[in-house]
Amino acid sequence: MKRLSTLLLLTLYIYNMYAQERIIILNEGMWQSDNGRISYFENGAIVSNQWFRDRNSSKIGDTPNDIIQVNEGLIAIAVNWSNIVQFIRPDGTAVAATEDIPNNRRLCSDGRYVYVTSYGHECETIYGTVYFTKGFVAKIDLSNFKVVATCEVGYEPEGIALYDGRLFIANTGGYAEQEGDHEFETTVSVVNAATMTLEKNIDTHIPNLYGEMSQCGRFLCINSPGDYYETPACGLIFDCRKALEGTDCFVRFNLPATYNTATTDGRFFVIGSAFSYITGENVFASFTIDPSTFIRTKGQAGLEHTMPGTMAADFANMSQPYGIYVNPYTGYIYGTDAGSFEGAGDLYQWSPQGQLLGKHRVYINPGHFLAIAPEDWASGVETIDHSSLTIDHCVFDLQGRRFNGDGRLKPGTVYVKDGRKTLRLR
Amino acid sequence: MKHSKYYLQAILATVLALAATAGASARNHAIHNSLPDSTARLDTVRQLYEVTVTSKPPVKTIATSQTLSGADLQALSTTSVADALKYFSGVQIKDYGGLGGMKTVNVRSLGAQHVGIYIDGIRITNAQNGTVDLGKFSLSSLESVSLFNANKLDHVQSASEYASGATVYLQTRRPTCDSLSIQLRNASFFTWMAKANAQFNWKGWQGFIDGEYCSSRGDYPFRYHSQYEDTVGRRANSDIRYGRVEAALFRGGFSSHVYYYDSERGLPGGIVRRLSDKYTNVGREWDRDFFVQASYQKNFLECLLFKANAKYTNEYLRYCTKYPENQNTARVDNHFRQQDAYGAVCLAYMPWPWLSVSSSYDLRYSIMKADLKRFENVKRVDQKLVFAAQMNWKGIQAAASALHQRYSDWTFVQAGAADPIDRWTPAVSLAYTWKGLTARWWYKQIFRAPTLNDLYYTQAGNRNLKPEYTKQLNFGLEYHWSRGQQAWSRDMWEVDLQADIYQNKIENRIVCLPLKGTYTWSMMNYGYTFCRGLNATLKGHYSRGDWRFSLINSITWQRDVDRTDPEDEDMYNKIICYSPTFSTGLTAIASWRTLQYTASYLYVGERMWSKADPEDILEPYHNLDMKLSYTHHIKRTSLGVCLEVCDVLDEQYEHIPRYPMPGRNYKLTLTFGI
Repeated sequence: MKRLSTLLLLTLYIYNMYAQERIIILNEGMWQSDNGRISYFENGAIVSNQWFRDRNSSKIGDTPNDIIQVNEGLIAIAVNWSNIVQFIRPDGTAVAATEDIPNNRRLCSDGRYVYVTSYGHECETIYGTVYFTKGFVAKIDLSNFKVVATCEVGYEPEGIALYDGRLFIANTGGYAEQEGDHEFETTVSVVNAATMTLEKNIDTHIPNLYGEMSQCGRFLCINSPGDYYETPACGLIFDCRKALEGTDCFVRFNLPATYNTATTDGRFFVIGSAFSYITGENVFASFTIDPSTFIRTKGQAGLEHTMPGTMAADFANMSQPYGIYVNPYTGYIYGTDAGSFEGAGDLYQWSPQGQLLGKHRVYINPGHFLAIAPEDWASGVETIDHSSLTIDHCVFDLQGRRFNGDGRLKPGTVYVKDGRKTLRLR
Repeated sequence: MKHSKYYLQAILATVLALAATAGASARNHAIHNSLPDSTARLDTVRQLYEVTVTSKPPVKTIATSQTLSGADLQALSTTSVADALKYFSGVQIKDYGGLGGMKTVNVRSLGAQHVGIYIDGIRITNAQNGTVDLGKFSLSSLESVSLFNANKLDHVQSASEYASGATVYLQTRRPTCDSLSIQLRNASFFTWMAKANAQFNWKGWQGFIDGEYCSSRGDYPFRYHSQYEDTVGRRANSDIRYGRVEAALFRGGFSSHVYYYDSERGLPGGIVRRLSDKYTNVGREWDRDFFVQASYQKNFLECLLFKANAKYTNEYLRYCTKYPENQNTARVDNHFRQQDAYGAVCLAYMPWPWLSVSSSYDLRYSIMKADLKRFENVKRVDQKLVFAAQMNWKGIQAAASALHQRYSDWTFVQAGAADPIDRWTPAVSLAYTWKGLTARWWYKQIFRAPTLNDLYYTQAGNRNLKPEYTKQLNFGLEYHWSRGQQAWSRDMWEVDLQADIYQNKIENRIVCLPLKGTYTWSMMNYGYTFCRGLNATLKGHYSRGDWRFSLINSITWQRDVDRTDPEDEDMYNKIICYSPTFSTGLTAIASWRTLQYTASYLYVGERMWSKADPEDILEPYHNLDMKLSYTHHIKRTSLGVCLEVCDVLDEQYEHIPRYPMPGRNYKLTLTFGI
């Protein structure tokens, strides 16, 4: 018995040596208060609610709005009101930042480039400043963190996703009510990611494709809050493959999809509210969509008003649900409650079966998540073949960029050569 | 010759006092700070002390009030009414910084929209958003600035004067002689100001015209230094230029006022992390405010007092962000227009000298137009009726009032007009005075109706809003002591001391919140706050010969907590944001003849600006202002010079997070008068 207990404890210890659940949460803070913050959650506990500050002794900025993993060593964050796209390492340390894309909104990446949507009308590129009448998408080259190409899309483009070399951008036209010179957009723009040219605009006839857009393979879940007056909120499932093929590619559902996320088994968890300024009514809903079935049956099947375990009830009991996310590595589910918006919000964690595991205090308006791979995460690569490897003795900087020759290295430079980090003394 | 000059002044002051007394009520007006006995000593040249003629309420000490007037008011280093009010106990100023930054006043944490601002007894209104930017009102034409918690309590008052949680009275100065003065000012941050004032007093008519033009670049430096940043910079888009012209005419119980203000200003945003100065806020605002008002008060049969008020207001506001440089927000160019017509009749009856009963009916018609999408004209009729009674019998003072308000709106906005509001609210005051010491108690319940923005603003308005209620309870003590100038002494002492403890509750707070699970924001009734506090003020004046010393101290201690949701442990009973627990102001004035030195010190304690983290605080600040002025008289002309140093300690502080206030700055003013 004693031996069994020791073995069990040892197993648990070894299990806990590795961080399994590692979630970065963006707290938007309050607008113009410069109090955006990053929370870091690991293995059932909040490690820090000012993670960026701890790691960098500086602030992240005002209203961080989106976060993505670019590659194993890099994370990108769109800090909207600061006009900054901030790059950090998975350990939270800052790498680079650019303000060439004002009013940036959402991000996606292919590992080499980061694509950013923007409500702004100008962009600083390596070819000079480019101006737009509507909104645009910018392409950041990670070798120098500069914008190398742009493409004008619709007014106020929001969600962005990459599929088969094409960028799919949901246009909102969200400034329509204030500016008055254009209407709400109803299109999804398809842009060739390589050439950054607009291939087509797919009209969904649904206005204001605003807010969270999640991707599950070829499928997108897009929200429309409507116009808040006559046109009610709704959502749509969008099939990127069919869009490229030119066939009917989306099916609408008459429920709001304010916050949504892809699950590990190819579905979407959705929560949302429909509001009308005319009636003052606000209807809350939570449901699950199987996009494959939903598209195939043209909306007749695939939408269920259920969620695993207590999730639906927990969301319904929140003051202000503000985000939902599924860890793609582990299947654990996360949701946030912004509370009173004056105080700190809460992070909820559920097991993949929907059992509430805990509630953790974060910061103001926690709305965006990113899971980092567990430390013992297997990449799926089983064998590594070194037979064809030739050592060319090239020199790289710490960002992995190749130097043309040793002669350009100044004394004091840290560089990587033959897999070793080296300090040049003279 | 000198004798006759001073006699003339004394007689003039006495006549003025009598005229004012007769014009209002023979019983109820008095002369304070009675003239020194110079008239009894014909062989000695004595300086006459300032004569302040005020309308004395029958039960003066029953109301909790603070006043800055005459020399004390002019001695402060102030540019607007907001600067003077910040020295009052219980007052919190919200200031977005710089000359152009909006300045609003909040009293005992009731909220700016519960504070009524009155010029000569007629309320300055803003049906659109319910707040008044105090930066638009100059002190140069004012005799006094008074703050009344709850009601002012005069014999005859309009119903509107009962309709706010706290009231700020701006009393226009009635000229006593003919004069012309011109003022030029140069101040830090490229600020230039020119002001002219002409006034007359002719055959019982008094009047003035006061004009001012000011231009300021407002690009003051700021610094944020903390563990996580060291940001230095200069405020951008913080410029302002404004012109103000106002005129007033008085005769006996008649008073009138015309006011016009025209400004253009930049709207700088909060200082947030940016990599460069490339993208800054570029929004601009234009204001054109005009009003004309008149009031007439007359006494009949020694026991009836009649008063009538009339006012017309026309306000225009343009907000523009439609600039190519604007990358961060929607590019809009909105125009808002408001017109407001107001009339009131009040009648008071005094069957015995110790009792008065009164009633007043007010009618206000407001119309608002805006070129917002989905917005139609909104019209509001606001009717108020009050019944009030006051008594003062052998030191026992009491006042009670019942106010009825009815608001009706008409609009073609899609959601339709809100349902009319029809409510009664009470106020009761009791006091007892014994040998200069007064103990008082009062209770007041009042609401603020949702503003037109609250109800109808595109993509935020909510026509189902309920009024926001305040309930105030106060107990206070006041003591006044003075030792007038005696024939055998040249000393004169005066001490005023008052302390009030209070409790107020706000229910159904009207706030803008996002709706559950949506991206939309809407005005909602949410929240309940509970506040307990102590306000205390001490005023002391001492004069001897040509020397005059004043000391004014105010102290505020309060605990203003959230009582919205008992199940919310993180918020319930926690201090409300922006509400300091302790603040104090101290002003010292020393003058010798026309040389005057003033030092004003203000301390405001730590305030939370969010409840999310103990680090989210606005640091306490100390603000020390100094002012030195001298006026030289040559026959009938005078030449004055004044140097002011504001924020001598160069403290970097803020009222709103990330909206820095200017640090140390200077003002040099030259005045020429005849």
